[in-house]
Amino acid sequence: MTPPAAPVQAFFLDGALGQRFGLLHTPPNGQPVRGHVVYVHPFAEEMNASRRMAGLQARAMAQAGFAVLQLDLMGCGDSAGHFEEASWDDWVHDVVLARRWMLARWPGEAWLWGLRAGCLLAAQACRLDGRPAKLLLWQPVLSGKQHLQQFLRLQLAGDMVRGESSRGNTSHLAALLAQGESVEVAGYTVSPALAQGMTQADLHGLPAGTQIVCLERGDDKATAVSPALSAQVQHWQAAGCSAQASVVAGAIFWQMQEAPDSPGWLARSLRGLGGAAPETVS
Amino acid sequence: MSVETDLKNILDSVLSLQGRSADWQRGTPLLGAVPELDSMAVLGLITAMEEGFAFTIHDDDIDSAIFATLGSLSDFVTAKLGG
Repeated sequence: MTPPAAPVQAFFLDGALGQRFGLLHTPPNGQPVRGHVVYVHPFAEEMNASRRMAGLQARAMAQAGFAVLQLDLMGCGDSAGHFEEASWDDWVHDVVLARRWMLARWPGEAWLWGLRAGCLLAAQACRLDGRPAKLLLWQPVLSGKQHLQQFLRLQLAGDMVRGESSRGNTSHLAALLAQGESVEVAGYTVSPALAQGMTQADLHGLPAGTQIVCLERGDDKATAVSPALSAQVQHWQAAGCSAQASVVAGAIFWQMQEAPDSPGWLARSLRGLGGAAPETVS
Repeated sequence: MSVETDLKNILDSVLSLQGRSADWQRGTPLLGAVPELDSMAVLGLITAMEEGFAFTIHDDDIDSAIFATLGSLSDFVTAKLGG
Protein backbone atom coordinates (compact mmCIF):
# COMPACT_ATOMS: atom_id res chain seq x y z
CA MET A 1 0.00 0.00 0.00
CA THR A 2 1.28 3.45 -0.83
CA PRO A 3 1.62 5.58 2.31
CA PRO A 4 -0.38 8.83 2.40
CA ALA A 5 1.45 11.68 0.74
CA ALA A 6 3.43 14.07 2.92
CA PRO A 7 2.38 17.65 2.14
CA VAL A 8 5.08 19.92 0.75
CA GLN A 9 5.04 23.70 0.48
CA ALA A 10 7.47 26.22 -0.97
CA PHE A 11 7.98 29.51 0.83
CA PHE A 12 10.49 32.26 1.62
CA LEU A 13 12.06 32.72 5.01
CA ASP A 14 13.12 36.23 5.99
CA GLY A 15 16.81 36.34 6.78
CA ALA A 16 19.05 39.23 7.80
CA LEU A 17 20.47 39.32 4.28
CA GLY A 18 17.37 38.76 2.19
CA GLN A 19 14.92 35.97 1.65
CA ARG A 20 15.80 32.30 1.71
CA PHE A 21 13.87 29.80 -0.34
CA GLY A 22 12.61 26.80 1.58
CA LEU A 23 10.76 23.58 0.83
CA LEU A 24 8.85 22.32 3.84
CA HIS A 25 7.74 18.70 4.03
CA THR A 26 5.31 17.86 6.82
CA PRO A 27 3.96 14.50 8.01
CA PRO A 28 0.66 13.36 6.49
CA ASN A 29 -2.39 14.92 8.14
CA GLY A 30 -3.38 13.30 11.39
CA GLN A 31 0.02 11.70 11.96
CA PRO A 32 1.85 12.65 15.17
CA VAL A 33 4.94 14.81 14.65
CA ARG A 34 8.11 13.47 16.28
CA GLY A 35 10.28 16.50 15.61
CA HIS A 36 12.04 18.23 12.77
CA VAL A 37 14.96 17.93 10.38
CA VAL A 38 16.87 20.77 8.71
CA TYR A 39 18.67 19.76 5.54
CA VAL A 40 21.93 21.51 4.69
CA HIS A 41 22.80 21.09 1.03
CA PRO A 42 26.31 20.52 -0.37
CA PHE A 43 28.55 23.00 -2.17
CA ALA A 44 28.20 24.31 -5.73
CA GLU A 45 27.35 21.72 -8.39
CA GLU A 46 26.96 18.94 -5.82
CA MET A 47 23.82 20.70 -4.64
CA ASN A 48 22.20 20.37 -8.06
CA ALA A 49 23.34 16.81 -8.60
CA SER A 50 21.92 15.65 -5.26
CA ARG A 51 18.59 17.47 -5.49
CA ARG A 52 16.57 14.37 -6.32
CA MET A 53 17.98 12.18 -3.55
CA ALA A 54 17.53 14.99 -1.01
CA GLY A 55 13.89 15.35 -2.07
CA LEU A 56 13.29 11.60 -1.83
CA GLN A 57 14.80 11.46 1.64
CA ALA A 58 12.91 14.53 2.84
CA ARG A 59 9.62 12.98 1.75
CA ALA A 60 10.49 9.67 3.42
CA MET A 61 11.37 11.47 6.66
CA ALA A 62 8.10 13.39 6.56
CA GLN A 63 6.21 10.12 6.17
CA ALA A 64 8.11 8.82 9.20
CA GLY A 65 6.82 11.74 11.29
CA PHE A 66 9.33 14.54 10.87
CA ALA A 67 8.81 18.05 9.55
CA VAL A 68 11.70 18.58 7.10
CA LEU A 69 13.02 21.89 5.82
CA GLN A 70 15.20 22.03 2.72
CA LEU A 71 16.65 25.53 2.73
CA ASP A 72 18.60 27.08 -0.14
CA LEU A 73 21.57 28.93 1.36
CA MET A 74 22.30 32.54 0.40
CA GLY A 75 23.03 32.85 -3.32
CA CYS A 76 22.17 29.20 -3.96
CA GLY A 77 19.13 27.73 -5.68
CA ASP A 78 16.17 30.09 -5.43
CA SER A 79 17.37 32.12 -2.45
CA ALA A 80 18.15 35.83 -2.65
CA GLY A 81 21.69 37.09 -3.00
CA HIS A 82 24.50 36.17 -5.32
CA PHE A 83 26.76 33.19 -4.89
CA GLU A 84 29.84 35.39 -5.30
CA GLU A 85 28.72 37.59 -2.38
CA ALA A 86 28.11 34.74 0.02
CA SER A 87 30.57 34.11 2.83
CA TRP A 88 30.91 30.93 4.85
CA ASP A 89 29.57 32.75 7.93
CA ASP A 90 26.48 33.86 6.00
CA TRP A 91 25.72 30.21 5.29
CA VAL A 92 26.29 29.16 8.89
CA HIS A 93 23.84 31.84 9.97
CA ASP A 94 21.31 30.61 7.43
CA VAL A 95 21.49 27.18 9.06
CA VAL A 96 21.08 28.73 12.52
CA LEU A 97 18.08 30.72 11.26
CA ALA A 98 16.47 27.62 9.73
CA ARG A 99 16.96 25.61 12.93
CA ARG A 100 15.42 28.33 15.08
CA TRP A 101 12.46 28.65 12.74
CA MET A 102 11.80 24.90 12.76
CA LEU A 103 12.29 24.56 16.52
CA ALA A 104 9.64 27.21 17.17
CA ARG A 105 7.11 25.25 15.11
CA TRP A 106 8.04 21.63 15.60
CA PRO A 107 9.72 21.05 18.95
CA GLY A 108 10.72 17.52 19.82
CA GLU A 109 13.63 15.69 18.26
CA ALA A 110 15.75 18.26 16.42
CA TRP A 111 17.96 16.86 13.68
CA LEU A 112 20.41 18.55 11.33
CA TRP A 113 21.05 16.59 8.17
CA GLY A 114 24.02 17.54 6.03
CA LEU A 115 25.37 16.26 2.75
CA ARG A 116 29.09 16.65 1.94
CA ALA A 117 30.11 20.28 2.72
CA GLY A 118 26.67 20.75 4.27
CA CYS A 119 27.97 18.58 7.12
CA LEU A 120 30.65 21.18 7.86
CA LEU A 121 28.02 23.94 8.01
CA ALA A 122 25.75 21.82 10.22
CA ALA A 123 28.65 21.09 12.58
CA GLN A 124 29.53 24.76 12.83
CA ALA A 125 25.91 25.68 13.60
CA CYS A 126 25.98 23.09 16.41
CA ARG A 127 29.20 24.51 17.84
CA LEU A 128 27.69 28.00 17.86
CA ASP A 129 24.61 26.70 19.66
CA GLY A 130 26.74 24.88 22.23
CA ARG A 131 24.09 22.33 23.19
CA PRO A 132 24.13 18.62 22.33
CA ALA A 133 22.59 18.08 18.92
CA LYS A 134 21.51 15.30 16.60
CA LEU A 135 23.36 15.10 13.30
CA LEU A 136 22.75 12.93 10.26
CA LEU A 137 25.81 13.25 8.04
CA TRP A 138 25.81 11.95 4.47
CA GLN A 139 29.26 11.33 2.97
CA PRO A 140 30.66 14.06 5.21
CA VAL A 141 33.48 16.27 4.00
CA LEU A 142 36.00 15.95 6.83
CA SER A 143 38.23 18.85 5.84
CA GLY A 144 36.97 22.06 4.30
CA LYS A 145 40.46 22.81 3.11
CA GLN A 146 40.65 19.60 1.11
CA HIS A 147 37.15 20.13 -0.25
CA LEU A 148 38.08 23.59 -1.53
CA GLN A 149 41.21 22.22 -3.19
CA GLN A 150 39.17 19.55 -4.94
CA PHE A 151 36.68 22.15 -6.07
CA LEU A 152 39.46 24.35 -7.49
CA ARG A 153 40.68 21.28 -9.33
CA LEU A 154 37.40 21.23 -11.19
CA GLN A 155 38.83 24.07 -13.23
CA LEU A 156 41.66 21.84 -14.45
CA ALA A 157 39.31 18.95 -15.13
CA GLY A 158 36.92 21.22 -17.02
CA ASP A 159 39.68 22.68 -19.18
CA MET A 160 40.83 19.18 -19.98
CA VAL A 161 37.38 17.83 -20.84
CA ARG A 162 36.76 20.80 -23.15
CA GLY A 163 40.13 20.24 -24.79
CA GLU A 164 41.40 23.68 -23.76
CA SER A 165 44.82 24.41 -22.43
CA SER A 166 44.87 24.85 -18.69
CA ARG A 167 44.34 28.34 -17.29
CA GLY A 168 46.48 27.84 -14.25
CA ASN A 169 46.68 25.18 -11.61
CA THR A 170 45.04 24.83 -8.24
CA SER A 171 47.82 26.51 -6.30
CA HIS A 172 47.53 29.57 -8.56
CA LEU A 173 43.81 29.86 -7.76
CA ALA A 174 44.44 29.29 -4.05
CA ALA A 175 47.04 32.07 -4.11
CA LEU A 176 44.55 34.48 -5.70
CA LEU A 177 42.01 33.71 -2.95
CA ALA A 178 44.67 34.22 -0.29
CA GLN A 179 45.41 37.65 -1.80
CA GLY A 180 41.76 38.59 -1.35
CA GLU A 181 40.60 38.06 -4.92
CA SER A 182 37.58 36.08 -6.05
CA VAL A 183 38.09 33.18 -8.43
CA GLU A 184 35.68 31.64 -10.90
CA VAL A 185 35.56 27.88 -11.18
CA ALA A 186 33.02 25.87 -13.16
CA GLY A 187 30.64 28.82 -13.33
CA TYR A 188 30.82 29.59 -9.60
CA THR A 189 32.56 32.72 -8.36
CA VAL A 190 34.04 32.01 -4.96
CA SER A 191 34.73 34.97 -2.67
CA PRO A 192 37.79 35.08 -0.39
CA ALA A 193 35.42 35.14 2.62
CA LEU A 194 33.78 31.94 1.47
CA ALA A 195 37.09 30.24 0.75
CA GLN A 196 38.60 31.31 4.05
CA GLY A 197 35.67 30.01 6.10
CA MET A 198 35.60 26.74 4.22
CA THR A 199 39.36 26.27 4.61
CA GLN A 200 39.00 26.44 8.38
CA ALA A 201 35.92 24.23 8.59
CA ASP A 202 36.07 20.76 10.10
CA LEU A 203 33.87 18.40 12.10
CA HIS A 204 35.66 18.66 15.43
CA GLY A 205 34.59 20.44 18.60
CA LEU A 206 30.95 19.32 18.69
CA PRO A 207 29.20 19.72 22.05
CA ALA A 208 29.59 16.63 24.26
CA GLY A 209 26.51 14.45 24.14
CA THR A 210 25.87 15.12 20.46
CA GLN A 211 24.45 12.15 18.58
CA ILE A 212 25.99 11.58 15.15
CA VAL A 213 24.85 9.16 12.46
CA CYS A 214 27.15 8.95 9.40
CA LEU A 215 26.53 7.29 6.06
CA GLU A 216 29.39 6.64 3.66
CA ARG A 217 29.05 5.25 0.16
CA GLY A 218 30.74 1.97 -0.61
CA ASP A 219 30.60 -0.87 -3.05
CA ASP A 220 28.44 -3.88 -2.32
CA LYS A 221 31.53 -5.63 -0.99
CA ALA A 222 32.68 -2.85 1.35
CA THR A 223 31.86 -3.31 5.02
CA ALA A 224 34.16 -0.90 6.86
CA VAL A 225 34.08 2.87 6.54
CA SER A 226 37.18 4.67 5.22
CA PRO A 227 40.13 5.06 7.60
CA ALA A 228 39.60 8.84 7.60
CA LEU A 229 35.96 8.62 8.69
CA SER A 230 36.81 5.90 11.19
CA ALA A 231 39.38 8.24 12.79
CA GLN A 232 36.81 11.03 12.88
CA VAL A 233 34.32 8.75 14.65
CA GLN A 234 36.95 7.89 17.28
CA HIS A 235 37.60 11.59 17.71
CA TRP A 236 33.93 12.28 18.36
CA GLN A 237 33.63 9.39 20.79
CA ALA A 238 36.68 10.58 22.72
CA ALA A 239 35.01 14.01 22.97
CA GLY A 240 31.92 12.51 24.60
CA CYS A 241 29.69 12.26 21.52
CA SER A 242 27.75 9.21 20.47
CA ALA A 243 28.80 8.47 16.89
CA GLN A 244 28.17 5.63 14.47
CA ALA A 245 29.15 5.34 10.82
CA SER A 246 28.08 2.78 8.27
CA VAL A 247 28.78 1.96 4.66
CA VAL A 248 25.76 2.00 2.38
CA ALA A 249 25.78 0.88 -1.24
CA GLY A 250 24.57 3.36 -3.81
CA ALA A 251 25.56 5.73 -6.58
CA ILE A 252 27.78 8.80 -6.12
CA PHE A 253 24.61 10.81 -6.48
CA TRP A 254 26.17 14.13 -5.37
CA GLN A 255 28.59 14.07 -8.31
CA MET A 256 26.50 12.69 -11.13
CA GLN A 257 23.76 14.27 -13.12
CA GLU A 258 20.85 11.84 -13.35
CA ALA A 259 22.34 9.36 -10.91
CA PRO A 260 20.27 6.25 -10.27
CA ASP A 261 18.39 6.30 -6.95
CA SER A 262 20.07 4.83 -3.91
CA PRO A 263 17.16 3.54 -1.80
CA GLY A 264 19.50 1.98 0.76
CA TRP A 265 20.45 5.49 1.91
CA LEU A 266 16.85 6.42 2.62
CA ALA A 267 16.13 3.34 4.70
CA ARG A 268 19.41 3.51 6.61
CA SER A 269 18.90 7.19 7.43
CA LEU A 270 15.41 6.58 8.78
CA ARG A 271 16.79 3.84 11.00
CA GLY A 272 19.41 6.33 12.19
CA LEU A 273 16.66 8.74 13.15
CA GLY A 274 15.14 5.97 15.22
CA GLY A 275 12.15 5.34 13.03
CA ALA A 276 11.17 2.33 10.99
CA ALA A 277 11.45 2.69 7.24
CA PRO A 278 8.08 2.93 5.55
CA GLU A 279 7.35 -0.07 3.40
CA THR A 280 7.26 1.94 0.22
CA VAL A 281 9.67 4.76 -0.36
CA SER A 282 8.70 6.49 -3.54
CA MET B 1 43.60 -8.44 -10.06
CA SER B 2 45.21 -6.40 -12.80
CA VAL B 3 45.33 -2.61 -12.78
CA GLU B 4 43.05 -2.65 -15.79
CA THR B 5 40.37 -4.68 -14.01
CA ASP B 6 40.58 -2.44 -10.94
CA LEU B 7 40.27 0.59 -13.19
CA LYS B 8 37.23 -0.80 -14.96
CA ASN B 9 35.58 -1.36 -11.57
CA ILE B 10 36.39 2.21 -10.50
CA LEU B 11 35.07 3.61 -13.79
CA ASP B 12 31.92 1.55 -13.48
CA SER B 13 31.33 2.79 -9.94
CA VAL B 14 32.20 6.47 -10.46
CA LEU B 15 30.33 6.80 -13.75
CA SER B 16 27.56 4.36 -12.79
CA LEU B 17 28.00 2.43 -16.03
CA GLN B 18 26.02 -0.58 -14.72
CA GLY B 19 28.50 -3.07 -16.09
CA ARG B 20 29.06 -1.35 -19.44
CA SER B 21 32.81 -1.22 -18.86
CA ALA B 22 33.10 -5.02 -18.56
CA ASP B 23 34.09 -5.61 -22.18
CA TRP B 24 36.20 -2.49 -22.62
CA GLN B 25 39.69 -3.03 -24.05
CA ARG B 26 42.94 -1.09 -23.81
CA GLY B 27 42.04 0.83 -26.96
CA THR B 28 38.57 1.85 -25.76
CA PRO B 29 38.41 5.66 -25.92
CA LEU B 30 37.35 7.46 -22.73
CA LEU B 31 37.58 11.26 -22.77
CA GLY B 32 35.23 12.66 -25.39
CA ALA B 33 33.76 9.23 -26.09
CA VAL B 34 32.10 8.27 -22.81
CA PRO B 35 29.32 10.85 -22.27
CA GLU B 36 29.29 10.34 -18.48
CA LEU B 37 32.90 11.53 -18.27
CA ASP B 38 32.28 15.24 -17.66
CA SER B 39 34.45 17.50 -15.50
CA MET B 40 32.73 16.47 -12.25
CA ALA B 41 33.22 12.81 -13.20
CA VAL B 42 36.89 13.36 -14.05
CA LEU B 43 37.34 14.86 -10.61
CA GLY B 44 35.48 11.94 -9.04
CA LEU B 45 37.63 9.52 -11.00
CA ILE B 46 40.82 11.21 -9.82
CA THR B 47 39.68 11.04 -6.20
CA ALA B 48 38.59 7.40 -6.55
CA MET B 49 41.95 6.46 -8.11
CA GLU B 50 43.83 8.24 -5.31
CA GLU B 51 41.84 6.35 -2.70
CA GLY B 52 41.72 3.03 -4.52
CA PHE B 53 45.40 2.83 -5.44
CA ALA B 54 46.70 4.87 -2.47
CA PHE B 55 48.77 7.42 -4.39
CA THR B 56 48.53 11.15 -4.93
CA ILE B 57 47.73 12.68 -8.29
CA HIS B 58 49.24 16.13 -8.70
CA ASP B 59 47.87 19.01 -10.75
CA ASP B 60 50.64 18.52 -13.26
CA ASP B 61 49.54 14.91 -13.80
CA ILE B 62 46.09 15.97 -14.96
CA ASP B 63 46.46 15.81 -18.74
CA SER B 64 44.02 14.81 -21.43
CA ALA B 65 46.46 12.27 -22.88
CA ILE B 66 46.13 10.18 -19.72
CA PHE B 67 42.37 9.97 -19.98
CA ALA B 68 42.36 9.24 -23.73
CA THR B 69 41.85 5.49 -23.53
CA LEU B 70 41.56 2.75 -20.94
CA GLY B 71 45.10 1.74 -21.92
CA SER B 72 46.58 5.21 -21.38
CA LEU B 73 44.87 5.51 -18.01
CA SER B 74 46.04 2.05 -17.06
CA ASP B 75 49.63 2.91 -18.04
CA PHE B 76 49.44 6.06 -15.93
CA VAL B 77 48.30 4.09 -12.87
CA THR B 78 50.95 1.43 -13.41
CA ALA B 79 53.65 4.10 -13.63
CA LYS B 80 52.28 5.78 -10.48
CA LEU B 81 52.43 2.47 -8.66
CA GLY B 82 56.07 2.19 -9.69
CA GLY B 83 55.45 -0.90 -11.79
